[in-house]
Amino acid sequence: MPAGKGVVQGGPIPYQPWAAAKKIENAKNRLTTDPLATCYMPGVPRIMYMEFPFQIFQTPDHIAMTFEWSQIHRTIYTNGAPAPEGIDFWMGDSRGRWEGDTLVVDVKNHNDRTWFDMAGNFHSEALHLVERYTMRDANTIAYEVTIEDPKVFTKPWAISMTLHRQVDADRIFEYQCQAEAEEASGAFERDLKTWYPGPSVAVQTPAEWKDVQTAWKAPAPQGELKRMADGKPDLQGYFMPDGGGANYGLGKHEVDFLTPGGRGVIVDPPDGTLPMQAWAKVEAENRKTPERGYDDPTAHCFVAGVPRSMYVPSPLQIVQPPGYVVVLHERMSWRAIPLDGRPHLPDHLRLWQGDSIGRWEGDTLVVDTTNLNGKAWLNEVGEIVSHAERVVERFTPIDADTIHYEATVSDPLVYTRPWTIAFALNRQKDELLEVACHEDNQDLQHLKEIRDEARAKTRSQS
Amino acid sequence: MKSFRLVAILVAMIGWAVLPVAAHHSFSAEYDSKKPLKLKGKVTEMKWANPHAWIYIEVVGKSGKIEKWAWETGGANALYRRGWRKEDLVAGTVLVIDGFQARNGSNTANATSITFEDGKRLFAGSSSQNPATK
Repeated sequence: MPAGKGVVQGGPIPYQPWAAAKKIENAKNRLTTDPLATCYMPGVPRIMYMEFPFQIFQTPDHIAMTFEWSQIHRTIYTNGAPAPEGIDFWMGDSRGRWEGDTLVVDVKNHNDRTWFDMAGNFHSEALHLVERYTMRDANTIAYEVTIEDPKVFTKPWAISMTLHRQVDADRIFEYQCQAEAEEASGAFERDLKTWYPGPSVAVQTPAEWKDVQTAWKAPAPQGELKRMADGKPDLQGYFMPDGGGANYGLGKHEVDFLTPGGRGVIVDPPDGTLPMQAWAKVEAENRKTPERGYDDPTAHCFVAGVPRSMYVPSPLQIVQPPGYVVVLHERMSWRAIPLDGRPHLPDHLRLWQGDSIGRWEGDTLVVDTTNLNGKAWLNEVGEIVSHAERVVERFTPIDADTIHYEATVSDPLVYTRPWTIAFALNRQKDELLEVACHEDNQDLQHLKEIRDEARAKTRSQS
Repeated sequence: MKSFRLVAILVAMIGWAVLPVAAHHSFSAEYDSKKPLKLKGKVTEMKWANPHAWIYIEVVGKSGKIEKWAWETGGANALYRRGWRKEDLVAGTVLVIDGFQARNGSNTANATSITFEDGKRLFAGSSSQNPATK
């Protein structure tokens, strides 16, 4: 562990005697029992001082923070809305207010499973934090936290440090802790057919696929739309995708045992089916077998990719600070979409959520996503995209409570032509909650056993 | 007070068939359509978790021995939004649960319907509901 002078103010952490003993025990076993050793969410305040950057998006109603570490996000509500009761979160619940030029944040609703650091300093679910953020100058924030937990400490104590702006950064990337760990250990295996770079590095997208115009037309907005100060539509709020069972098959399909049916969201080609190449049809059938259930990245709680993030049956929040549209997913992932016309990342940089660049075409937000890593599946039944995937999404507000969403996917490794899906994002009143997934995932081991048994059978037959 | 709250929620839930489920993995891969199951037992614990909550029950097995079973349901967030709280399903409650056993043969199953002894519906969290026709 690196040395440090410490950030605790005024003497040692005032543990109760039993808790002081537990802290020593934690430190001894930290290589296995530190929640971060198994990629569990770090909680607040630890996420604020890990060696991974984050980005702050500020609006009058809330301040959203997106973290490089495992695509975690937190929202500090500054609109006066009360904290929910009777539910706890790994990242707590944050309610802020301005005291002069200092942002003061109450963080409550913690669970008792996170630590403050790798040294084993810990707390209970009674933890109450008061964070203070004060700009010291244009590029530094004085960050102070008062820590109160009557179950663990004898009195409140405080930490203090400086947060430094990354002056040469124009975006943050992804560090997917659990995916990195499972790829390193072999628990999540490379799929040569779809992962970057794959056997065919140079993928040619047919010229006629560029700027494809589908025959299908989106519904037109009805009446006046709520607008931002710059005149663009205000897309902000909480939304639930009306994905119509797309997470279980993009085309129209009936209920099949425990797999839900779906009305079909493919609007182009007009027959409503995916225009798969021959090999992809074979692969998609193979992925439907029980032993391939383990290979779906979302079964491992990895992020869903694009466009799947938009139709997993889970709410999302749209935040619209100047220069960006940010999508926060309840299933702990995010996309920060810059609107400044910047170019895409160099081709060799590949991400689970890709590189999304946005622009307004009239009242439609158009988002162009490239640099995907080809690891995501399109849904639980294994419909396919590869690293050659490019996605052009269109967000068109129709009325105060509805955004029409469509996504055109071009993937010359998998399909014979581009295709388009469309559905509504319906406004909901509820704030996002938090879906911790990997932290309590009991299903993966079962799916692994099913896969391993099938493999053993194949081996014994050959 | 707790039991009053449970009754209130039950009344509120009449008319709901099943919870919408935010599955994160394929139930069809994990569970076996050839192993339908109906068990009656006492709740020992409800594990309030995402992406799926779990109800643990003790069942008197064929030989008279107590067997422990884990039933997978919808996620905690869906339960919370329907008005449920962590402490609402108390240990000792007798439930009758329908569903399908895991393919790996363990005492694990996916719940498609959960009722009290008198047949009143608790909730179910199977993925077999068609989201398109919710």
